[in-house]
Amino acid sequence: MSAIYHGDDRVPIPPSDAQQFSTVCSYCIVGCGYKVYKWPLGKEGGALPHQNALQVDYTKQQPEQSGTWISPAMHNVITERNGRRFNVVVLPDKDCIVNKGNHSVRGGTHGDVLYASDRPTADRLTHPQLYRGGGQFPTTWDEAIELGARVIKASLDKWGPDTIAMKFFDHGGGGGGFENNWAVGKFFFTGIGTKMASIHNRPAYNSEVFASGDAGIAPLPSAYLDAELADTIMLIGANSYETQSIYFLEHILPNLGGATIDQKQRLIPGETHASGKLIVVDPRRTATVAVAEAHAGKENVLHLQINNGTDIALLNALSRLIYEQRWADQNFITQRTNNFPAFQQVFQSQSLDEAIRLTGISKAQMMTAAEWIAKPKADTARRRTLFLYEKGLIWGLKNYENVASAVDLALLTGNLGKPGTGCGRLGGHQEGYSRPAYPGQRPPVNVDEVAIKGGASKVFWVAGCNPVGGTLNAQSFRVALAQRTALVNQALGSTNGGSLDEKVSAIMNALDKGGLFLIVQDIYPIETAQYAHLVLPAAQWGEMNLTSINGERRLRLYQKFMDAPGIAEPDWKIMARMAHRLESAYRAEGKTEMAARFAGFAWNTDEEVFRAASAGVKGAQEDYGETTYAMLQALGTNGVQTPVQEIRNGVPMGTTRLYTDDKMFTFIPAPWPGFPRQIQTLIDDARYPFWVNNGRANHGWQTLYDDLRKPYVMGREPLPHVEIHPQDAGQLGITNGELVELFNPYGSVTAMAVIVDANAPGHVFMLFEHPKGWLNNLTTDYVDPATTIPYYKGTKAGIRRIGGLPGMNECLSFVPTNRA
Amino acid sequence: MSNVSRRNFLRLGACAISGACAVNALPAIGRAAESPDITTLRTTLPYPRIKLAAIGRLKAGVEHLTAYPDPASPVVLLKLGRPAIEGIGPDQDIVAFSRRCSHMGGALVFRAETGTFHCPLHYAMFDAQKDGLMVIGQATDNLPRIELELDATGDIYAVGVKGLLYGRQANVLA
Ligand code: SF4
Ligand code: FES
Repeated sequence: MSAIYHGDDRVPIPPSDAQQFSTVCSYCIVGCGYKVYKWPLGKEGGALPHQNALQVDYTKQQPEQSGTWISPAMHNVITERNGRRFNVVVLPDKDCIVNKGNHSVRGGTHGDVLYASDRPTADRLTHPQLYRGGGQFPTTWDEAIELGARVIKASLDKWGPDTIAMKFFDHGGGGGGFENNWAVGKFFFTGIGTKMASIHNRPAYNSEVFASGDAGIAPLPSAYLDAELADTIMLIGANSYETQSIYFLEHILPNLGGATIDQKQRLIPGETHASGKLIVVDPRRTATVAVAEAHAGKENVLHLQINNGTDIALLNALSRLIYEQRWADQNFITQRTNNFPAFQQVFQSQSLDEAIRLTGISKAQMMTAAEWIAKPKADTARRRTLFLYEKGLIWGLKNYENVASAVDLALLTGNLGKPGTGCGRLGGHQEGYSRPAYPGQRPPVNVDEVAIKGGASKVFWVAGCNPVGGTLNAQSFRVALAQRTALVNQALGSTNGGSLDEKVSAIMNALDKGGLFLIVQDIYPIETAQYAHLVLPAAQWGEMNLTSINGERRLRLYQKFMDAPGIAEPDWKIMARMAHRLESAYRAEGKTEMAARFAGFAWNTDEEVFRAASAGVKGAQEDYGETTYAMLQALGTNGVQTPVQEIRNGVPMGTTRLYTDDKMFTFIPAPWPGFPRQIQTLIDDARYPFWVNNGRANHGWQTLYDDLRKPYVMGREPLPHVEIHPQDAGQLGITNGELVELFNPYGSVTAMAVIVDANAPGHVFMLFEHPKGWLNNLTTDYVDPATTIPYYKGTKAGIRRIGGLPGMNECLSFVPTNRA
Repeated sequence: MSNVSRRNFLRLGACAISGACAVNALPAIGRAAESPDITTLRTTLPYPRIKLAAIGRLKAGVEHLTAYPDPASPVVLLKLGRPAIEGIGPDQDIVAFSRRCSHMGGALVFRAETGTFHCPLHYAMFDAQKDGLMVIGQATDNLPRIELELDATGDIYAVGVKGLLYGRQANVLA
């Protein structure tokens, strides 16, 4: 029987001569610094300070927050390719100014998911696999690449670049890094030239913040320091205790508790300072609201519990109130912005009564929010307000207008470029984007609909994501994928024992008849890979050197400290292998122009790719210029905040916050658009009475790809949970821990009920991604036509009780998580 | 009970109330969930056997503050008033836990209404009825639970600890 804990009562200590590496958490945007210790199995450091690498006296109890305590989840035993075994400890770095030794449950359990043949990570992909004989079986890199390259080339030659579709990671940390992203972009955009590209968590190749870019604001303009200096922080559609945990705990919460007042006085002299105030816009009373109230007092936290999808009406109403109170920053508007009259027309036509009716927020609450955002301080100084938004806004009703209405509010109140201000994303993943330009237009093509369901593409390469559950309207996506890939399975089944030529011609025949050749590149045998013809094993974080930035543009080197399992390779190397093969095939045919498109992949090291990738970030918020690995290594977990201004005496000089100059911005008028047809149809249908909001939970990361291998995490989330209001649960006869089915015309999903009054009656909240219940079976096919970003956060469904499963109720805790 | 048998007991004894944990009621994902034992290192430490209290002195919902396995490790002995996983006594409701948060060592506060421990540092919450399961928070393991024995005279003894105590390399200091 497994249980929901580690249970160890002892961990080994790194000896003084343990190898040490510097890295950053592979998961969320915060980018907490970590130190890695590695030493041979069979050896241990002693308990006295001079006997261990941490120089700690382990004969004594350590004080709280020592930053030198190793929990069992931080340790593992790994085996290198040469068979040598090592202890590895992945410890939060107390010298990193981002986390100061702190960590979340996600980052703190990195030790659990290092590849080890006797741990749950034993199912890592170790070798390429090819579909033959009715299943996926191991093959060599040579055969895998040869087959893939031939199918890609034949499709490209016969039908053109858009027949090759891709859905790839594009982020930082474990989600890519500058190195892998550059190789991917160079392959698909310079090499193939396809427009049928999409980013791992969405159906198209787009920015999630086109509106912010149009306004002239980069996605990550401020520093974490600004959260310590702000008078007010406004979180819009973000549950930061659970999803940007250490930013919230180490930078936001201290401000709310008054612990940064001294610092405010020192860094911003000549104006009055007090504890910060927090506004949270969220349809749900989250743990973030509860923790903030517990820490700062209810009087300093304002929770605007809006109705799903109504952010635009709320934000425009706040702009209107602030303008009418004469709290707008007229100097900023005049000197730094364009297009104010158009914005003014929009917010003035937003009736307050209608906003109150739509949002469910009272006029008094709106007025308090307006005061906290913009009412000048006692000494007439403007309030410094930091606007931070994330998926609740980005994946809300209408991506473009949602983001625009937040940006407009920040511009109206002059909150950019000054200490304690800003308007940007909190972020989900870390960032590490560098690619040649995407060849498509704006709005970008919906790859799910056009390329996969619509049949426009014949080869689909998926890497570092799990679209069979992660994409919108996932049930119909799976049906299309299953049908189209099965045609290729049948074709391959008819070539048993055949030569590669015969296989390729059978595949091409199937593609001609509507088949889809699927390549999945990942670290685990994910659900999407079950449909694949070619499965390519990738290296992960810690198995290559990579670089990324966090939510305040802090660039660091994530050092390699162990081998990838089997013959898995870094993504950039896999792309390079495929490019080489295509280059030589075109060269052999004398097609030098095509060959040239696939040239330039002859990198030998991770750093050579990093240097090449600097071409893709010139002038952007992540511009790292001439920075090298050695420079970053010297800067350790504190790194440097991009853009790098110059290299002075071998040290990159960074940028704390953006827009301290006189840059101009543009208002983007964003009127309330109403609900789209798909949602309105559900609203009008009594069979689907529940609004289904969704999001992440503290203990899980993304699709749970690593978490599925963390028994400690899966023990508490064996099935995706859905929060149901006690009133609704009572009517449906549902109790804690029972299975329920949620359904609508798009699909159905099962989940485990958690009865809690976090949402208003008639509203439920479900975990976003879990392989035992994909919420996205319920999301509609609606995307914002301006950006091709889905309304993931809003759909409607009916709910029916299925019944209890043994053990759920007894072993899991149903104490509400939003009390502190 | 020897140390070895005690360790086995600890592992087999989880979720004694229900007899089966939720994790086992569901099909495994790949090979991942099949791994029966996720620990990398199991030791048998020389835990002392220390009397914590006589059972008659415990009142439901009232904390009995003490220390184990040495004075530097504050623990709390509790009669919850409702059955708990691994609870002992006639009502299976007596449990004991470390009072140091398994995140970074914050001094935990117990709330009898919900049967939960709360950390003032980063707001982790642990459920005393559910084997110290973290309800929410940033710790990477449950709250370490003190293994208890009840002798024939009604005295409650601490005899071991499941889970690593915060701030230690081994639960029993060198
Ligand atoms: S807060 Fe984010 S970066 Fe920090 S440890 Fe947790 S997951 Fe990693
Ligand atoms: S020390 Fe208890 S939550 Fe961090």
